[in-house]
Amino acid sequence: MSDSLHVEIKVNDSPVALDVPLTETLLTSLRDRLQLTGAKRGCNQGVCGACTVMVDGVAVRACLSLTANCEGQSVLTIEGAGNDRAIAALQDAFIEAAALQCGFCTPGQLIAARALLEHNASPSVEDVSKGMSGNLCRCTGYNKIIDAVRMAARRLQP
Amino acid sequence: MNTGLFRPASVSEALALLARLPEARIIAGGASLVAMINARLVDPEALVSLARIDELKEIIETPGGGFRIGAMVRHRAVAAEVRFGGTLAVVQMAAAQIANATVRNMGTIGGAVAHADPGLDYPPALVAAGATIEIAAEGGRRRMSAQEFFVDWYATALQPGEMVCAVHLPAPRPGAGLYHKLARVSGDYATASVALTMVGEDAAILTRAVIGGCGPTPLMIDEANRLLSGQPSAQNLRRAGDLLQAAADPVDDVRGSAEYRRMLIPRMLARAFDEARVRAAASS
Repeated sequence: MSDSLHVEIKVNDSPVALDVPLTETLLTSLRDRLQLTGAKRGCNQGVCGACTVMVDGVAVRACLSLTANCEGQSVLTIEGAGNDRAIAALQDAFIEAAALQCGFCTPGQLIAARALLEHNASPSVEDVSKGMSGNLCRCTGYNKIIDAVRMAARRLQP
Repeated sequence: MNTGLFRPASVSEALALLARLPEARIIAGGASLVAMINARLVDPEALVSLARIDELKEIIETPGGGFRIGAMVRHRAVAAEVRFGGTLAVVQMAAAQIANATVRNMGTIGGAVAHADPGLDYPPALVAAGATIEIAAEGGRRRMSAQEFFVDWYATALQPGEMVCAVHLPAPRPGAGLYHKLARVSGDYATASVALTMVGEDAAILTRAVIGGCGPTPLMIDEANRLLSGQPSAQNLRRAGDLLQAAADPVDDVRGSAEYRRMLIPRMLARAFDEARVRAAASS
């Protein structure tokens, strides 16, 4: 049996204290301890992007982050992004463009798209295609996701 | 029994921990190690995180015009590094092709070289660039060429208790540096890759060509480089491709058969060489 490590982080602006095994990932802590099931476990290898969350303002894979190594950091998941202007615009655009079907990948897509738009406010089709290449979707064929991200980008222009 | 996660603030503290805890593993960005933990390939008893060591986080220009890239520098930062011009573009181009944007926010150059997976993008690019690896031990620091550092599948010249502190790049030279990767899908490991630097000197050129993903370590052959330098004829280009193809030791795996990989080598080399010549000419 493993010793637990005490960790204090912020999740969606609320302080959270956890006691976790050394090798527990942030994804497991979010889903199984905090019941925040927006971030999904797809591959658990960093390939599929369904677990993408923001840590200290940077998009990361929750499945490749160890909770114990997140001490003092601030995590934003899709559950905490309700008031985020970019996320709201992306959600509307995803619905209008029919950029989801089963929805499993959508929380990760939205966080990754938000990160993309932060660095590139008016991405081309190729920019979105490359920037979002780490988020797999098995329903849409991607074109609608690209349409949605660019639609949101246009609406977010000042 | 897990003994814990340690977050030292300096390299010397990290080395003391590694000496005290021989079973501990270093965690840098986690992109490879945590994936291996999730796949139950490793179950570390203790981890030494390098996240708090400031010395490892920067890219600094060194007195000769080269660069020291700290071990904790993320792939994203190298991919965006505008100072890596000329021949050093090979390193920037390799970093930009690693996995995907989110993983590039996490993965580090030190983690990648210490992991030494032959399918990674950095190892061939660093060999082509003439990089050296800065290694710290309790007795002091040493530097070793990237070519000597990678010794086998997932194996490096690192000794127990040692750690990678930085990657040093020589000053960029006028010419071209490029990294071409063939992968099944965007973000995959290389089925095969070519890293190439070409120094343009008047009409003659000086070329270093390195093949990745086709054997235990990056493949570079002095004779092939010689054939690709000076004023190489089409015949010499073919001969260099043949030499690299014959010396490669690829495996059959899910990314491609050994035969397919061998077939790729001369073709990818020729394509990279042609593009490098165009770029080198444009830059002079």
